[in-house]
Amino acid sequence: MINGVRRGSNAAPWFALKVVNTVIFIFILGPILITAAASFNEANQSKFPPRGFSLKWWADAFSDDWVDPVLFSFRLAICAALVSTIVALPLTFGLTRYRFKGRDALITLALGPLMLPALVISIGLLQFFYLIGLGDYVGFWALLAGHFVICLPFSVRTIAISLYGLPANVEKAAASLGASPVTVLFKVVFPLIKNGILAGAVFSFIHSFSDVNVSLFISRPGQMPVSVKILGFLEFGFAPTLAAVAILTMIIPLVLIIAIERFGGLGDFIYGERARG
Amino acid sequence: MGNERVADIALRLSKLGKKFGSVVAVDGIDLDIAEGEFVTLLGPSGCGKSTTLGLIAGFFPPDSGAIYLKGASVESLPSFKRDIGVVFQDYALFPHMTVADNVAFGLQMRKLPRDEIAARVDEALQLVHMQGLGGRKPLALSGGQRQRVALARALVIRPKVLLLDEPLSNLDLKLREDMRIEIVNLQRRLGITTIFVTHDQGEALVMSDRIAVMNAGRIEQVGTPGEIYEHPRTRFVAQFIGSMNFFSGRIVANGGPSHVTTDKGLALAVPVPQSLAVGTPVYVAIRPERATLSARAPGVDDHITIKGSVRQVIYLGARHEFLLDLESGDQACVWVSNEKGSARYAVGEVVYMSAPVDSCLVLPASRGHASSPRSDA
Amino acid sequence: MTAPPATDVIDKRARSLVPWLLVAGPTLALLVFFVLPNAILLSAGFLKSEGQTLTGQLTFENYAFFFGRPTYVAALLRTFFIALSVGVLVVVLGFPLAYFLTRTRSRWKGLLIALSLSPLLASVVVRTYGWFIIFNRFGALNDFLLYTGFIKERLAFMPSTGAIIVGLTHSLLPYGVLTIMAAVQSLNPQLELAAMSLGASRTRTFLRVTLPLCLPGIAGGFILAFSISLSAYATPAILGGPSTQTIATLLYTFMIAILDWSVGSMLGTILIVTSGLMVYLATKLGAKRSAL
Repeated sequence: MINGVRRGSNAAPWFALKVVNTVIFIFILGPILITAAASFNEANQSKFPPRGFSLKWWADAFSDDWVDPVLFSFRLAICAALVSTIVALPLTFGLTRYRFKGRDALITLALGPLMLPALVISIGLLQFFYLIGLGDYVGFWALLAGHFVICLPFSVRTIAISLYGLPANVEKAAASLGASPVTVLFKVVFPLIKNGILAGAVFSFIHSFSDVNVSLFISRPGQMPVSVKILGFLEFGFAPTLAAVAILTMIIPLVLIIAIERFGGLGDFIYGERARG
Repeated sequence: MGNERVADIALRLSKLGKKFGSVVAVDGIDLDIAEGEFVTLLGPSGCGKSTTLGLIAGFFPPDSGAIYLKGASVESLPSFKRDIGVVFQDYALFPHMTVADNVAFGLQMRKLPRDEIAARVDEALQLVHMQGLGGRKPLALSGGQRQRVALARALVIRPKVLLLDEPLSNLDLKLREDMRIEIVNLQRRLGITTIFVTHDQGEALVMSDRIAVMNAGRIEQVGTPGEIYEHPRTRFVAQFIGSMNFFSGRIVANGGPSHVTTDKGLALAVPVPQSLAVGTPVYVAIRPERATLSARAPGVDDHITIKGSVRQVIYLGARHEFLLDLESGDQACVWVSNEKGSARYAVGEVVYMSAPVDSCLVLPASRGHASSPRSDA
Repeated sequence: MTAPPATDVIDKRARSLVPWLLVAGPTLALLVFFVLPNAILLSAGFLKSEGQTLTGQLTFENYAFFFGRPTYVAALLRTFFIALSVGVLVVVLGFPLAYFLTRTRSRWKGLLIALSLSPLLASVVVRTYGWFIIFNRFGALNDFLLYTGFIKERLAFMPSTGAIIVGLTHSLLPYGVLTIMAAVQSLNPQLELAAMSLGASRTRTFLRVTLPLCLPGIAGGFILAFSISLSAYATPAILGGPSTQTIATLLYTFMIAILDWSVGSMLGTILIVTSGLMVYLATKLGAKRSAL
């Protein structure tokens, strides 16, 4: 019956919708493709369509100048994802399986970083570090702290979705068959939530890797994510090298997502709906 | 009952009680189950049968009372230390393990050697006709197949007691009926003490050695299917199993000749249990299949006869159901089997309903007044 | 056995201690790295500062300073205007896309969804850079218009508020699409069929049934785009200039250039308050709550 809706009286509006959406798609993808194309310019200009064709800017993008910040961002993102996952696990278990005083407040706290502007977290941390005399640690450690804070909600969310998606009685079944609570945790619960844990780590990684606002005030030369570095250079002008680096920083998360999709899929976690048991 | 030696009692529940918040789920249950018995806990939703099963399984501790498994007190033991097998309503198979791994789980917990586990898993799968499917994942199985795997998983560990929580509810009718018989046959073959929870009285009657009918956290009556059906002791049990005609009234005399007068003024000369005093509010209960219809008043001894007219006729293939408006103002239902030559009555026709006095039960109207069992019960 | 209330899921004996043990560490981490810095920020706005050092003196002079300058107030208003425009544009563009992506049965559905969400993978800088290439004086748009003869001289499309709005809309469109998709997905298509069977044309069904039911998701998308726009830095920094300051760019100026951290903190406080208001609004409108 639903199929029938597509034909007849619905054909024209649906077609119009497709046209509108094609335009919107061009709007969405255009600038990114333009950035990619501009990186192949011959001259030192970010022009679209590119004048001439040259890979020299890409070569430049792989120079130490740029590879170092990319690696820094990469390391930072991995650490942020790890810390966020490790902290999120006990937290989420506690929040989803127990009722205790202050639970609601704690949930708000755990998801709070999603609501607050990242910029604010950045200057807050900056002042905090100086206040307690750790001004020298502004850089990687302040960044890690800031990224951990903004990534935590992602891990908490996906792990919570997984936990809620556990089939109703499997833990009781395992217990009835003789499994101690610890065994139930490791043989039944963890295997079934590993997708959620992984999804949370991936989202955390991407969020950290592409972050600008939190990193803005707590970076320092040499300990600066590549996104902040590009931003800094942009204020001085444009160059195809920047375009090349920018595209590079987009490819890394893309590869990660494709790799993960192969192994477990993230679709269930994107809308915040329950994962299939 | 009462002639088993203590050692033969596989499971004893003694004054078991459980509250959830302010809701009393189980209100003092006493039950003895013999080795190898198939006992069903039967009752409507909310009667406490699932909670009782959960207490036996150890999923939550009781507030009061004790549980003895083969003589040993277990109520303070967590679930994984009791030697039980459970089949859940939704089967609760481990989705990330294969069928074989699922079945092997309990044996792995008991640290048996690998080859023994493999052999017993095969044996169990054969028992439930799932041999060869050990490599499949639960997601790839049908509902009926999952149920059988759940059964195998619980049986392979040879538990002291097998607990089944409405395992057939999610299957369609034909499959349900087939599985009933399969489960009973399995149980008889293996001789495992079994407790079965259901709200379906048909299942209970077909499968059980004994049925415990539960209502509002208490057991109203325990007995064989025959006892429960033929001699229910409370109104609740009477109306929960099968169909029943009820006439509300009071005991007028309970001596040699005894009779009850209904609220609508009908005088019924039915046998009244000695334990019930004159004046007690009661129900006279008559099974619709025990009553008969005739066009003229039958003058038969030891029968009660009531005049009425046919209000509606329902055809059910194997029988007709006649809904009657009785002279007294009561309503009743009589079942007449569709045999060759059985009489038909039309709507509006005047008929006489009669039932043998022996088939008429007198049940107390208020709780706490169970009628005493007959001497042959 | 399958339905005891949550309070009895866990054995009573362990109930009291275990949750606290589990959440203690994480809570501490959050308090130290999230709550404390923000508390410092909120109070710093009320403290006099000499550059980067905060004194203990309580004062409102930061606020007086800011609100006393028309340029700064204009920046504040401009920020709200931008956020409003972006919010509107995001839902106007996002709704048709979200509706289509949810309802399409094309083979390419997964690919299309991934494509429309792909900008999320890129950092804001990457997304905005493309607009930079399009809008700047020697950029693609000017080239195109010159080439086709629409204009005789190059126009200054940026820096401008308009350019910022376009850039932000582009950046935030995926968020809007995600939010609205969730709403459309929970809409039962049978409802539309029911309306049509009762005699409503496609348009009327859309206006009287579909749209009203999607409204919470649309509102959610608007609020999300609005909040993020308020505190966006990279896009206004790249596509805007000294004459098109927003709260975020002012914040940067005060923190890094002028080195007046207490004014910076004060601006941060303004951002916290406005985003708090947005969250409150969102929950009032019944926007989808978190998985917890």
